[in-house]
Amino acid sequence: MKTFRKIMAAVLCVMMIVTLDGCAQASEDGITEIEIVSYKREAIDVMDEIQDLFNSTHDDIRLKISSPNEAMTILKTRFIRDDYPDIVAIGGDINYSNFLDAGLFMDISDLQALKEVKEGYLDIDKQLELVSMDGVYALPYVANAAGVLYNKDIFNKYGWKIPNTWDEFISLCQTIQSKGLTPLYFGYKDTWTTLAPWNALAVDLVDANICAQVNKNEATFANAYREVATKQKELLKYCQPNPYAYSYTDAATAFANGEAVMWPIGSYAISQVQSVNPDMNIDSFVMPGSNDPNKNILNSGIDVQFSIMENCPNKEAAYEVLNFLYTDEVLNMYLEDQGGVATKKGEFPIAEYLKGMETYILAGEVADFQDHHYPTEMAVDAMIQTYLLDKKKDALDTFLNKFDTDWIRYNRDLIARVQKEES
Amino acid sequence: MKKKMSNRTKTYLCILIPALILFVMFNTYPMINGLIYSFTNYKGYGKFDWVGLRNYVDLFQDERVLKSYLFTFKYALCGTILVNVLSLLMALALNAKIRFKSALRGIYFVPNILGGLVIGYIFSFFFTYILPYIGIAWNIEWLQNSILASPAYAWIGVLIVGVWQAVAMTTIIYISGLQTVPEDVYEASRVDGASKWTEFWKVTFPLIIPFISINFVLTTKNFLMVFDQIMSLTNGGPAQSTESISFLIYRNGLDGGQFGFQSANAFVFFLVIVIISVVQQLITGKKEEQL
Repeated sequence: MKTFRKIMAAVLCVMMIVTLDGCAQASEDGITEIEIVSYKREAIDVMDEIQDLFNSTHDDIRLKISSPNEAMTILKTRFIRDDYPDIVAIGGDINYSNFLDAGLFMDISDLQALKEVKEGYLDIDKQLELVSMDGVYALPYVANAAGVLYNKDIFNKYGWKIPNTWDEFISLCQTIQSKGLTPLYFGYKDTWTTLAPWNALAVDLVDANICAQVNKNEATFANAYREVATKQKELLKYCQPNPYAYSYTDAATAFANGEAVMWPIGSYAISQVQSVNPDMNIDSFVMPGSNDPNKNILNSGIDVQFSIMENCPNKEAAYEVLNFLYTDEVLNMYLEDQGGVATKKGEFPIAEYLKGMETYILAGEVADFQDHHYPTEMAVDAMIQTYLLDKKKDALDTFLNKFDTDWIRYNRDLIARVQKEES
Repeated sequence: MKKKMSNRTKTYLCILIPALILFVMFNTYPMINGLIYSFTNYKGYGKFDWVGLRNYVDLFQDERVLKSYLFTFKYALCGTILVNVLSLLMALALNAKIRFKSALRGIYFVPNILGGLVIGYIFSFFFTYILPYIGIAWNIEWLQNSILASPAYAWIGVLIVGVWQAVAMTTIIYISGLQTVPEDVYEASRVDGASKWTEFWKVTFPLIIPFISINFVLTTKNFLMVFDQIMSLTNGGPAQSTESISFLIYRNGLDGGQFGFQSANAFVFFLVIVIISVVQQLITGKKEEQL
């Protein structure tokens, strides 16, 4: 028995050392360490530069920014292990809503930098709250704009104009086809790309708060999304054969090499295209969803925003980092490298490839991506892909009915909460 | 614990306990944890509520989960049969008196050394660009569209890659099995005038049944757990036609905020694998022959 105890003691010691090692990253010499996990893998280089700039100007805080592959999955896996970074740089999407709802983020209402954020983007963040909350939980950084990217050189060569209505858009596609060119290119092998045209059409055709309406049992997706779904399927007539065989990167490469004239995607794809063809002359326009040009609205969401984790021990240091990130100098560094639209008030240059959307950006006529409200596990992207592949006559009804039933199944707990709060 | 332990027992305990602790820490404990979470609506982070057996009830009504089970079983069944037939043929060939036997054995083992993801990405390129190119160049219609883009046939693409990789290890086990069959039983069968065919079915086959049994269990288990190939070839698509159970658990459990629900799925899947393995052992165990 004695030996047994000894063995147990030894084993327990080993276990303690192993577990202690995991959290032995306490600060040395009074230097506070702030860790940011950024989900923008493509921004890794500029994030490194920003990190170095910060560290060279601050002695008391050491900033560490990591931009891992599949950052969302990595973050969630870390959360499961109760291992939190200090700040996360994520998009304004359903993940933000869920993290916020789970009480992971700190209220940063008293942050200096927040005073300089454009109202529209604070509103978008407000709409992302599953159940309305007090306070501000994220600092919007850069927004993106989605619509249709086009090859400006080819457009100029034939003298084509940016279409303002759906009919103009379709007839433009037909004209392009008649010249023996491919009008559109899709990378539908990566299911999430099916959401790009979906969102761009939906902002024009469907209310921005449709999901909240459905949760309150005031609307159905079957009515709301019928036109969107029909139009997205119509686009298949004008793309390369078998778009389900090609991935997002394949599509970017094809578009960069001029194999297609237009690519319905967001401004976030620019760096991918430029990595293939740095000299390409790209511009973009707002997808015209209806035949009323006044209904056109720019599909723009928060691409990157910063949130401080609720249990971050060094609030002061984290605030210092956020205020630093929001200075014009750093923001310009980021914009120059990654493009996009600044969420900060004031004059920021609009990139060449967003010129076609300039009027919308300046007027602030923007609406958030509708998929930012869809639960990830519902896999709406795969549902759209399934629907596009479905050649049966009742494909549209099958898809829309599935959308409504699945929505209720995946949002059951939320709907119950919303309806409880209503009554 | 009245009797004093002998040195022997102490030694055994010394060896056993660390292994047991590691096993409990990294296997049993997470599993029990998962089982507990399967009764909650936990998203993987933050607050959660207890929901009782709701996840299990949902599991049997969820179309996507059922589809993933169908896909996985279809894949595992075809994969296991194909791999074992091909491997046995390869093993027989590589065990025959041929030139460069050792070199060939080495070459045929290479797929097993390469990582699943690497192979997946290479084959993905092959299916998406090279095969359709050949199809267009030689005007073969069914080759012109990537097999991975077709909801009806994408699983065959995944199967080809899975089998290609799994054959290597299985062949090695069969070769070692064939080498355990002593030469004198072959001599005896030749003296009795058995043809090659009879010799295989009446002599070789019964004597390597233990190896067939272990290979069936191993390949079935590996094919049921298919993950890398899906991740790199199709990512579950097109139209969710190639979502395996492991893939769905990973995708929706870790990425999609269904940690509780997918924990229930994982637990049910664990039971299914245990049952299949036990049944297989029972069936093949009865047929074993001893010399």
